[in-house]
Amino acid sequence: MIDPALIQSVIRILFAVVIVTAAYIISTRNLISLVSVYAVQSLTLVFMALALWSLEGVTVLLGIAVVTFVSKVLVIPYFIASIQERIRIRRDIEFHFLSPTTSLLLSMALILFIYIALANILEGTPARESLFFFGAVIGLSLMLMGMMVTFSRKRAITKVLGYLSMENGVLLFGMFVTELPFIIEFLIIIDLVILVILTTILTVGLDSTLEEYHQRLHRFHLVGDTEDGP
Amino acid sequence: MNLSFGLYLILNTVAVLLVAPLFVSIIKKVKARAQGRSGQSVFQIYFTLAKLLKKETVYSSHSSWVMRLTPYVSIAAMLVAALFVPLVFVPEPVGGIGNIILLLYLLALARFFMALAGLDAGSPFGGMGSSREMSISAIIEPTTIIVFAALVFVFKSLNVFDMFAASAAAGAPSTPTLILLAISLFIILVVETSRIPVDNPETHLELTMIHEGMILEQSGKNLALMELSAAVKLTLLMALLLNLIVPFGLTTTLAIGTIAVAAVLFVLKVTVLAGIIGLFESSMAKMRFFRLPSLFAMAFFFSTLIIIIEVFA
Repeated sequence: MIDPALIQSVIRILFAVVIVTAAYIISTRNLISLVSVYAVQSLTLVFMALALWSLEGVTVLLGIAVVTFVSKVLVIPYFIASIQERIRIRRDIEFHFLSPTTSLLLSMALILFIYIALANILEGTPARESLFFFGAVIGLSLMLMGMMVTFSRKRAITKVLGYLSMENGVLLFGMFVTELPFIIEFLIIIDLVILVILTTILTVGLDSTLEEYHQRLHRFHLVGDTEDGP
Repeated sequence: MNLSFGLYLILNTVAVLLVAPLFVSIIKKVKARAQGRSGQSVFQIYFTLAKLLKKETVYSSHSSWVMRLTPYVSIAAMLVAALFVPLVFVPEPVGGIGNIILLLYLLALARFFMALAGLDAGSPFGGMGSSREMSISAIIEPTTIIVFAALVFVFKSLNVFDMFAASAAAGAPSTPTLILLAISLFIILVVETSRIPVDNPETHLELTMIHEGMILEQSGKNLALMELSAAVKLTLLMALLLNLIVPFGLTTTLAIGTIAVAAVLFVLKVTVLAGIIGLFESSMAKMRFFRLPSLFAMAFFFSTLIIIIEVFA
C-alpha cells in the first residue's frame, strides 16, 4: 500500500499542472499546441482519478479514469487535430471583448473569488481543511476559465476547446466534491464526443469566425433562406 | 564576520567568474546544434574574453564619464549580487547579504547604468536599445517584484540564504507551489538576460536588438567586462532557480568533500538547464514587442496565485 501522504502530495502537484495547462489554454494563440495541452490536461485528470482511487478505493473512479483516458486523451484530441490538418489554420489571433492578458488577469480574480466564496461556505466543516476543498476551488476555476476561453475567442475551433476544458473542470469538481454518478459522467462524455464529431462534419466552417460561418451556411444553402441567390 | 563566511565570499566569487562564461557558451552550443551547425567550442568564449581584455578601449568623442564608469559599475553590481545567491555552499547570512530586495536593486542599478551608457555615446542604436530596455523593465519589474514576493511568502523569509537552507534541508521541492514558481522564475530569467522571445542575443540587426544595442559602443576590456557581467547575471539567476527548485547537492556544511560533490552536481544541473534554455530559444521566434506583456502576465498570474494560496490556505 502506498503512503497516503505521498499520494496527497502527488495530487497537489497535479493541481499545479492543471492550473498551468488552464493558463496556457487561456493565453496561447497557437492552435496546434492548444490541442496537445488539452490532452495533457485530460491526462492529468486521469492521473488524479487514479491517485484518488488508490486513496479511497472507490471503483467508480477507476471507471472515470478509463473513460476519460479513451475519450479525452485519445479520441477527441485526435479528431480535432485531424480537423486542423484539413483546414490548415495554425493560429487564433482574434478575440471578442478580452485579450489573453486581460483574461489571464481576470481569471486570477475569479480564482480568488471562488476561493473566498467556498471558504465561507465550507467554514467549520471538515471539508474545509482537506484536499477536497482545493479540488473544488480548482475544478470551479477551471470551469470558469474554460468559459472565458469560450466567449473570448472568435474561432469556432477554440470555442470548442474552451468548452471541452470547461467540462474538465466539471469533472474535477465532481471527482473531489460530490459523488457524481458514473452514468452522468458517461453521458457527458458521449455528449462531448458527439459535439466533436459534429464539428468534424462541419469542418467547412471551422476556419472562419462564427459570423463568417453563418454566411457560409447561407451560401451553401444549409440554412433555409433564399433571399441571396447564387 | 567568521571564517566560513569569508571563505564563502572568496570561493563564490571565484566560482562565478570561472563558470559563468561556460554556461553562456553551452546555450550557444545547444542552439548551434539545434540549427544543424556544429558551433564553436564551449571554451572559445574564454579566449575571446582574454583577447578583449588585451585590446585597446576606444571611446566616442561625444561620450562622458558614464561610458567609462559603466562597465565597472555593471561588473561590480553583478559580482555583489552573485554573493547573494550561493552556488554550492550556503553559510549563515551576515549583515544585509542575501536580502532579496537588495538583490533586486543591484540588478536594477546595473541595468540603469547600462541604459545610460547606451545613450551616452550618441549612437542612435544605443538610444533605441536603451529606450526598449527601459520600456521592458518598466513592465517586467512589477512582475519580478511579485515573483520575489511569492518566494518570500513561500519560504517565510526575506533572505535568499534562508530560502536556500530551507530547500536544501528539504532536499526536494517542499510544496507544489514551487512548480508554479519555477515557471515564473524561468520567465524572469529569460527576460532579465535578454534572450528569445524577448531579445535575441545573437543578432546585431537594428530592428530587434535591445541588450546588444546598448553595448554596441563598448570596446576592448570594457566590452569584456560587460559580456562577463551579462554572463554572471545569467549564472546567478539560473542558480536562484535551480537551488530553489532542485536543491539536491546544495550543502550547508563547510567540508571539502561535500563542496566538491555539490560543485559537480551544480555544474551538471546548470548544464541541463542551459540545454533547456537553448532548446526553448530554438523552438520559438522572437515575440513582437507589444505582445511581451502577455508573457509577463503569465509569470504575474502564477506568482499572484501562489501568494493567494499562501495567504489564505
